[in-house]
Amino acid sequence: MTALLTVLLACYLLGGLLPLCTSRPQLQNTLAHGGAAAGGLTGIVLGLVGLFAAQPLTLSVPSNIPFLTFALRLDPLAAFFVLTISLAGLAASIYAQGYVSEYADRASIGVVGSLLNGFVLSMTLVVLADNGFFFLILWEVMSLLSYVLVVTEHERPGVREAGLFYLIMTHVGTAFIILTFVIFSQEAGSFSFDDFRHPDQRLPDGLRSIAFFTALIGFGAKAGIVPLHVWLPYAHPAAPAHISALMSGVMIKTAVYALIRVYFDFLEGVFPWWWGFTVLSIGAVSALLGVMYALMEHDLKSLLAFHSVENIGIILLGIGAGMIFHAYGLHELAALGLLAGLYHTINHAMFKALLFLGAGAVQFATHTRDIEEYGGLLRRMPWTGLFFLVGAVSIAALPPTNGFVSEWLVFQSLILSVQLPTLLLKLMLPIAAAILALTGALALVCFAKAFGMAFLAQPRSGHARQAVEVPVSMRVGMGILAGSCVLLGLAPMLVVPLLDRVTGPLTGVAISDKVLALDGWVVAPVTVEFSSISTPVLAALLVGAGLLGLLIARRLGKGVQARYTRTWGCGLPLTPRMEYTATGFVQPIKQVFETVYQPTVKLEREFLEQSKYFLRHQRVEFHTEPLFETYLYRPVVRKLLAVAERLRVIQVGSLHLYLTYIFVTLVLLLLWAG
Amino acid sequence: MSEFTHLGSQLVNLCSVLLLLSSFAIVAQRRLSACVDLFALQSFFLATTAALVAFLTGHRHIYLAAALTVVIKVIVLPRILRKVIERLNVSRELVMNINIPAGLLICGGLVVVAFFITQPIIPLGYLLTRDSLAIALAIILIGFFTMIARKKAVTQMVGFLVMENGVFLGTTAAAYGMPLIVELGVFFDVLVAGLIAGIYTHRLQDAFDSVDTSELTALKE
Repeated sequence: MTALLTVLLACYLLGGLLPLCTSRPQLQNTLAHGGAAAGGLTGIVLGLVGLFAAQPLTLSVPSNIPFLTFALRLDPLAAFFVLTISLAGLAASIYAQGYVSEYADRASIGVVGSLLNGFVLSMTLVVLADNGFFFLILWEVMSLLSYVLVVTEHERPGVREAGLFYLIMTHVGTAFIILTFVIFSQEAGSFSFDDFRHPDQRLPDGLRSIAFFTALIGFGAKAGIVPLHVWLPYAHPAAPAHISALMSGVMIKTAVYALIRVYFDFLEGVFPWWWGFTVLSIGAVSALLGVMYALMEHDLKSLLAFHSVENIGIILLGIGAGMIFHAYGLHELAALGLLAGLYHTINHAMFKALLFLGAGAVQFATHTRDIEEYGGLLRRMPWTGLFFLVGAVSIAALPPTNGFVSEWLVFQSLILSVQLPTLLLKLMLPIAAAILALTGALALVCFAKAFGMAFLAQPRSGHARQAVEVPVSMRVGMGILAGSCVLLGLAPMLVVPLLDRVTGPLTGVAISDKVLALDGWVVAPVTVEFSSISTPVLAALLVGAGLLGLLIARRLGKGVQARYTRTWGCGLPLTPRMEYTATGFVQPIKQVFETVYQPTVKLEREFLEQSKYFLRHQRVEFHTEPLFETYLYRPVVRKLLAVAERLRVIQVGSLHLYLTYIFVTLVLLLLWAG
Repeated sequence: MSEFTHLGSQLVNLCSVLLLLSSFAIVAQRRLSACVDLFALQSFFLATTAALVAFLTGHRHIYLAAALTVVIKVIVLPRILRKVIERLNVSRELVMNINIPAGLLICGGLVVVAFFITQPIIPLGYLLTRDSLAIALAIILIGFFTMIARKKAVTQMVGFLVMENGVFLGTTAAAYGMPLIVELGVFFDVLVAGLIAGIYTHRLQDAFDSVDTSELTALKE
């Protein structure tokens, strides 16, 4: 491990420092992204080594600072996340090689590339850290570097505000994380994760529950759970696409990692059922609201960012179900829930990163992010279109893709709640399953919209008409991720045993032989009799059905002359204005879920002076209400500002008055102490 | 307690009282150059106290601290402050936040407070300088008060330095001084603070045509 880790550090550090030593953009580009790619490759190897290692590998360097040791620990859980991060990092850095030329005139390629290295390295180390203090430092470094990357295009309107919003939210989260660790260190006597795991005596129940909530809020703010998700749709799209891909694909997963680490490792998986239920409920709400807001987005990257909220929700559904089962001692089902959550974690990392890279490629070609200005891109950018389609099908959880496998497993673990002893949970978990089903359906609508509006039909704007396919390196980056998506979907027999090595130590049981029936060709939720599914067979069936259809058509259509002609447009020439718009496409859903969206329609009409039966022009505006911002955040901010306004009275700007404050405080304290 | 150490203790107390008196003199003084001279005098008393303590206790490093006090606080810093005063062409402080009689009364109150606060601590000490702790605290408070009461940046600087003298006396009184490395650091800090404050005063003069720090309120918004 030491050797691999040294190589990893060297790659990222060289990739981070060398580009700053030269001023030639081309060389900077090669050095920075070459370093990041090499680091990513090493990280993949490191992750695999960690997954197969019999014992957790540890490495520790003491420091002079109290409580701080630079301790790293590569156990299967950490290894799995290192693997995920590195895989996404590798794809993103290859992609960036071509993509950064888009930013050449706005930002220094060397600096952006160097920051990318630091960012991926900090994420990798966060999941490896084995000391609370060290973890917090790395967590902060990760947050700050991603902030700097978010504001790469700080001169564009809205980007700085998005960055500031992110910065505030992430620090609120960090405050709660610090609180969590302080609670643990109370009993452990140090900040070492090893002592967190085996404290001298167990924390009292009240304190454990507080730690549960502080961890949930602290890491939830980073993960983007509802209602702490509000920063995510602003900050993630503001960054360059490969950074968005990393932030949405893997950075928010570090929070998932930390939650699992805290709940299953530090708290030793001993917790009441309502913890799991809380996580599950938050997961269900996040999943549903995430996809619903995503539907209304017409900015491709914001849409994807909202889908991250949704997918974090799905991951938490799996983990929450696992926690509930664990609390009731149903260890196999607990392992299944956790496994489903982790499976979705890596899947989401792959397809979300892929989709963000795809969105970046489309933006690279059209210079806009508005879906309404795309159209007809499939002909102009076939590769990007194909990769985007793979990502879209995966995120919409259509068989036989990876999204389908993991969401199916989450489903099964929710439905298996029939085995739980309490009626309340027996009723509630199927409701969560129903919400997940609705989420899946809405996600399908959303990506039918995203893919259809962007890639099909005729170009809706000049930008789209002039689009050309992106450079090879960008296609390779996307291709790696698309390949991973397909592989993760078709080969659960390879993935499940790996994940089993992660969940095994956490839940105490190995379930891979039960999940994989018939030598791995069938995936089953622990009990084959209950239900089972096989993606390779499904894929074969799908392909077979397609071929069969083709065959039948050939047979029956023998002798029939095929005629190729334009689509009939009632005798009128077809124009892009006749196309379905993205707004129109989701209008029915907006109507159905009126309570959630609270849409406002603004209609402005101007008539001819002579007669009001003739319109000069009219303008329609749709707005949906961001509920959480309006009813939760704005009141809080307003209150804060009001309090601050009142406190300004003491802040008059007089040096003497400030000195007097200090003086009076000092004397009073002295008197009080004396 | 032997006769010798008793006498020594008395001498230390005497010097401390002289330090305290000189801080009162600074509070009562309107002329800036006289304030600086009084500060130099106070620092000289401080150096004497330190040397005395060094002699009585045999802690050699306090000699070094005393020597540094003479160099930096009696010679260098007063020179810097005099230069500032000359350049700025202000010799008197006419308007104050708190007038001199009221200021002296408050300072008297602060001395009482200082003695009141340290009263429970002093009997716990075993050092021969322990009585000086109350005086040290009083000097710190008076220095702080000077910074509040005066408007000119130069006198505020003097107030700050008086506070520093109080801290130095306090450490000598309570623990026979800090480790040498810390003392060296503190001296360096004071020197740098003096330089920065000198520059800052110049800038203030340039920006506001006055060294009255009350003008800084204009910086708000």
